[in-house]
Amino acid sequence: MLTLPVFEWVRPQSLDEALAFFTQAPAESLWIAGGTDAVPNLKHRLHEPKRVISLAGVRELHYVREDDAGMHLGALLTLRELSEHARVRAEYPALAKAASLVASPQIRNMGTLGGNLCLDTRCTYYNQSYFWREALGFCLKKDGTKCHVVPQGKRCVAAHSSDVAPVLIALGAEVEIATPPAQAGGAASLRRIAVDTFFVGDGVHNNVLLPGELVTRLIIPAASRGLSAGYQKLRPRGAIDFPMLSVAAAGRTQAGAFTQLRIVVSALGAKPRVLGQLDALAVGKAADEAQFSAIAAAAYKQCHPLINVPYDHEWRHEMVPVFVKRVLRDAFPKG
Amino acid sequence: MSEPKEPNAPIDAAKSVTEGRRPETVHSDSGRKPEMVVPKGRIMPREDRLAPPAWEGGRSVAPNADGFSTIGKRNRKVEGLAKVTGRAVYADDITLPRMLHAKLLRSIHAHARIVSIDASAALAMPGVHAVITGKDLPVYFGIIPWTEDEQALCETKARYVGDAIAAVAADSELIAEEALRCIRVQYEVLPAVIDIDSALEHPEWQVNEKAETGNISKQVRLEFGAVDAALANSDEVVEGHYWYEGSTHAPIEPHCCVAEFDATGFLTVHSSTQVAHYLHRDLAKVLGLPTQRVRVIQPTVGGAFGGKSEPFSLEFCAAKLAMITGRPVKILYTREEVFYAHRGRHPMRLHYRTGISKDGMLTGTDAKVQIDGGAYSSFGLVTTYYSGQLLGAPYVLPTYRFDSTRVFTNKPCCGPKRGHGSVQPRFAFECQIDKLAERIGMDPIAVRRKNLIGESTRTVNGMRVTSNGFPQCLDAVEKASGWKDKFRRLPYGCGIGVAGSMYISGTNYCIYPNEMPQSAVQLKLDRSGRATVFSGCSDIGQGVDSVLAYIVCEELGLTLRDVRVVAADTDLTPVDLGSYSSRETFMVGNACLDAARHLREKIAATLAERWQCGKGEVVLANGVACCTSEPREKAMTVREAFQLAEAKHGTLGSVGWYQSPKLGGDYRGGTIGASPAYSFTAHVAEVECDPETGQVRVCDIWVAHDCGRALNPVTVEGQMEGSAYMGFAEAILETMEYKAAAPGHAFGLHHGPSLLDYRLPTSLDTPRLHSIIIESVDPEGPYGAKEAGEGPLHPSVPAIANAIHDALGIRCDALPFSPPSVLGMLRIGDARAAWEAARAGFHKTGAR
Amino acid sequence: MDSTKTVCHLRVNGDAHTCAVTPGTTLLEALRYALALTGSKQGCDKGDCGACTVLIDSHPVLACITLAMACEGREIRTVEGLAAHGRPHPLQDAFDRTGGAQCGFCTPGVLMSAIALLERDPAPTREAIAQALSGNLCRCTGYTKIYEAVELAAKEMRERA
Ligand SMILES: Cc1cc2nc3c(=O)[nH]c(=O)nc-3n(C[C@H](O)[C@H](O)[C@H](O)COP(=O)(O)OP(=O)(O)OC[C@H]3O[C@@H](n4cnc5c(N)ncnc54)[C@H](O)[C@@H]3O)c2cc1C
Ligand code: SF4
Ligand code: FES
Ligand code: FES
Repeated sequence: MLTLPVFEWVRPQSLDEALAFFTQAPAESLWIAGGTDAVPNLKHRLHEPKRVISLAGVRELHYVREDDAGMHLGALLTLRELSEHARVRAEYPALAKAASLVASPQIRNMGTLGGNLCLDTRCTYYNQSYFWREALGFCLKKDGTKCHVVPQGKRCVAAHSSDVAPVLIALGAEVEIATPPAQAGGAASLRRIAVDTFFVGDGVHNNVLLPGELVTRLIIPAASRGLSAGYQKLRPRGAIDFPMLSVAAAGRTQAGAFTQLRIVVSALGAKPRVLGQLDALAVGKAADEAQFSAIAAAAYKQCHPLINVPYDHEWRHEMVPVFVKRVLRDAFPKG
Repeated sequence: MSEPKEPNAPIDAAKSVTEGRRPETVHSDSGRKPEMVVPKGRIMPREDRLAPPAWEGGRSVAPNADGFSTIGKRNRKVEGLAKVTGRAVYADDITLPRMLHAKLLRSIHAHARIVSIDASAALAMPGVHAVITGKDLPVYFGIIPWTEDEQALCETKARYVGDAIAAVAADSELIAEEALRCIRVQYEVLPAVIDIDSALEHPEWQVNEKAETGNISKQVRLEFGAVDAALANSDEVVEGHYWYEGSTHAPIEPHCCVAEFDATGFLTVHSSTQVAHYLHRDLAKVLGLPTQRVRVIQPTVGGAFGGKSEPFSLEFCAAKLAMITGRPVKILYTREEVFYAHRGRHPMRLHYRTGISKDGMLTGTDAKVQIDGGAYSSFGLVTTYYSGQLLGAPYVLPTYRFDSTRVFTNKPCCGPKRGHGSVQPRFAFECQIDKLAERIGMDPIAVRRKNLIGESTRTVNGMRVTSNGFPQCLDAVEKASGWKDKFRRLPYGCGIGVAGSMYISGTNYCIYPNEMPQSAVQLKLDRSGRATVFSGCSDIGQGVDSVLAYIVCEELGLTLRDVRVVAADTDLTPVDLGSYSSRETFMVGNACLDAARHLREKIAATLAERWQCGKGEVVLANGVACCTSEPREKAMTVREAFQLAEAKHGTLGSVGWYQSPKLGGDYRGGTIGASPAYSFTAHVAEVECDPETGQVRVCDIWVAHDCGRALNPVTVEGQMEGSAYMGFAEAILETMEYKAAAPGHAFGLHHGPSLLDYRLPTSLDTPRLHSIIIESVDPEGPYGAKEAGEGPLHPSVPAIANAIHDALGIRCDALPFSPPSVLGMLRIGDARAAWEAARAGFHKTGAR
Repeated sequence: MDSTKTVCHLRVNGDAHTCAVTPGTTLLEALRYALALTGSKQGCDKGDCGACTVLIDSHPVLACITLAMACEGREIRTVEGLAAHGRPHPLQDAFDRTGGAQCGFCTPGVLMSAIALLERDPAPTREAIAQALSGNLCRCTGYTKIYEAVELAAKEMRERA
């Protein structure tokens, strides 16, 4: 078997209790929701926490609600629940689709929305056993000092690999973060930021969460209602595999011309990439094949797949425009 | 390193040409002796081999006058319900009192001298019971007696990343693992070679000291007929360079074994092996125990495909640790370790020149093959022969030569994976035929039909072919796939391709030389109306235990629930060589047929006497015995019949065995590829390619396979589907990649030894598989049966490659046909024009 | 009892079990080694193959990446719980008849994914079956006979109901 390291395990029953647990030893604790990312990583000794805090008992983070502000998705929704939820499918089919393309049915029954957002970055030189990493030479993300992908670089460029995050960014979603009392200076506090700004370009820890902080919900603002959106995932097999490339798009058109467009490409580096220059390239222009091609060409220039994701990186680079076009055709079929 | 010279003088068929390295133990006398000559001091081969009994009417007919009652029916398997209810016991399901868990320390270097090992800190840890290193198990072993070049734990040097160096037995796996980290190994890192070219360029960086020169593991050069002249006189000659990527078996069950050593000094090893007998021998040898004090039990095995057909470090280490600690010891490989144990498909580089006449007759082939063997020999000697011995068949190939070299490299050792050694040349050859057909403007199925080898014949390299259903296989896939409406007629991006093959049903020699039976069965009947079959055969999911039961039912008129099978336990069962070279159904099936027929004769004679009728009138079927002329009056239960016979003859038991006739070409190596019967397969694959991404979707594979007779069509179809699936996986997805030596990168490290990075097709990737059974009824097979487990894999890869050509106009000569490589090929030259030219050419000649 | 171990209460196939585990004991280890329910298999131990699939509250999950202690209070079902009164479940019987199990090692996991499917969709299309089983690798069958088994079971279960 692949053994798990020795750790202490606690299962709080409420958000407050969870935050309080973490506060006791913030640097040495690890949240675990569905565990589908954390447990394999623990087995590979990629995380070596003293304490594992299970979120499974925090039922209050398990909901889909709608109000004037928009749609609220609890962090502990499973990916299956997200992908099958009637309202999600009706309003944001691209989001449901992205969730339905994660891993396998079993993993979608276990994995949570919050866990998917906070999924550790991935790298073929890193997601390996302790023995393997020792044979290779440990890298700077864990136990070592250099990067095998960009040897001269100082930063880890392991790939952001969440399927759901690109769609959330394209839809302009926000994430609610809870800070434990100690860190927040007294009482636990909640803040909200755009999912776009949640991620940072450092593969070692690719989001803004401070130790002890927790994702509690995702909010798709009311303003995003009616966006046309799409999601395309490139992977070697029809199931199980992480994205080798993922592209999400959301926007609006009026009389056949874009009034708004956002495209997010991921599995490139530590952070999903929001394509730039789309205001110039798309807004006011016709949502047609010619324009899709122009946008795709821009995407090709802006995206640079690396060697730490399966399959040849140059080929994946060539797939960027192909998949940008496909996602645009999905989202704007009349184009 | 000196390249072997091309033989320049054409030499007669079935004459050996030159040979590479010759094992020391082989007698150096004339070409008469086969490669596998007996080392001194062993039983000498007999010219007149044991021959199986000749039954009246032959062995392919039903014992009852009114036809088969069990054979050919869609029956259950004997262990089926145990498996589906979760009750079948696999090796890791065994837990013994006081059992310890052991883990292996593995080399982090691809090639390194072991200077010292200090295990004192590990030994001192609480919960650690024993640590062993190479010094504790110094005896070399190897599946082929001439190339014993492995040790359970490397004593002096490690030869690949993952080579085992030490083992720790502890209270738990976690403690054992922590102890491994406390073992200090001092290495002197040596230069490593991880591909064929570097292995040949740097003979001085010798991977395996047992190699006679440099990194050459084995060379075979054989020539049959006047190849050069034939090629020179051909109307068309196609030259092709092929690369067959390595792949691994990846059974879902990882290797596992449990060893116990009792107070009397008796060793029992339960292991997920497919060769209990060879394991038995090697355990005794390496551990220094008398063979008769070792017992090997094969529990239910969770898939093997050739990956469990040799002894591995875990069995020796668990046994040794059990002997040292006096407690049972379990070793369960992690999935990663299964990749290091490997023994998978050899990567091969093949260079072929093949000729054809305008009217579609194949003229000859000149093949040069380089084989990447990994760090040890394994079955490599045989692999090297297989890279050419089945080359031409199922077609008449009047002349051919192959020149094959297997090299050692600092990687996990390759070995026999389903279709051992002959899948790679099959790929090259079937692609060559497709190209030749295109050259002469002929339909590729028609070309294959032109060159059929037929029944009761001999191949140019001396292989005796008896039954042959290949023409029917071709007809069947052509019809089922709608070939005529599709070939060169589908829209751009869609295509269809064909390929054929022939494969052995067991080989005619044992891995270690002796003239004893290769398969055996003991059969016991008792007065309760039950039969128990004892056999050393190895069921790895293919259903051989059930084959025994079906045969016993058929012969003795029993129903399946009244037959018990006891298999693969060296204490209880007679020797069978195991599950490899597709030998089980044919060989142990024959052994079982004989054992059962002997008893049937006795019972029938008893009943004939009682009923005053002819023996031929006695029918035993479905639990009832009767006389055909008066089935109402003269009838009883089979149980009563058994009792009657027991009263007359005494306790009812019998034995049966199988030893193949002497077969093969009269030259060194001429026995390799020689089989008492050959199976035949044809595939048609249909693909849909995405020219924008290079992704190939294999939509359908039609498989027609001549298995002689399907003893149970369900299991035969299962083998056909599983084979087609596995071939498809090799074509499209699976690769054994190793990290190369870029700065700071490890050398020879497997790129992703997991089921996430080594991608087995999921249900969503797998094509629709259509299996069509063809029955040629072999004169020597049990009821006419031949193999079905490996043959049906062979045409998968070339059929897909040929279909991609039909779809896109490109030739996929290198595996895998991954999206980057397909897209890359579409960019070379004008692929679209080639596609159009292929169609135009085909339609112009009117689809001959 | 090992001092690092704690008592864990698991409900498996309707039976209440108590076993000693550490926080790092997976559900798969607890089932196989602590409760001797060895039907669920381990093929990769990290979520890649589906051999360890069991049902938790009727949903297929991977026992090898589930912590045993996280399963307290949940309803766990394994392959051992499918047969009732010593008779195989129609799905198990169908697998046996159609040759859906060759080596049988993926089978317990496949069965659990399939039963979950049949419980929510009594007449699944082949497409739906392929989707439901897409997290269960089978190395032997090429999946064809598995589809046949699920279809046969679905038909017979509908006829019975
Ligand atoms: C074989 C396999 C294939 C996979 N394929 C895919 C794929 O195709 N696409 C994909 O996106 N993912 C894939 N995954 C990864 C994973 O299963 C999913 O991303 C899943 O959604 C993770 O959710 P979880 O609840 O299981 O996370 P966990 O494993 O519980 O947690 C993941 C990380 O997030 C942290 N975390 C969890 N919840 C919170 C929270 N609320 N607040 C703060 N931090 C939190 C944890 O500390 C941990 O670091 C795959 C995993 C496996 C094993
Ligand atoms: S990108 Fe570099 S530092 Fe990051 S995980 Fe990969 S090898 Fe390590
Ligand atoms: S053993 Fe759990 S998924 Fe492979
Ligand atoms: S039956 Fe062997 S893995 Fe599925």
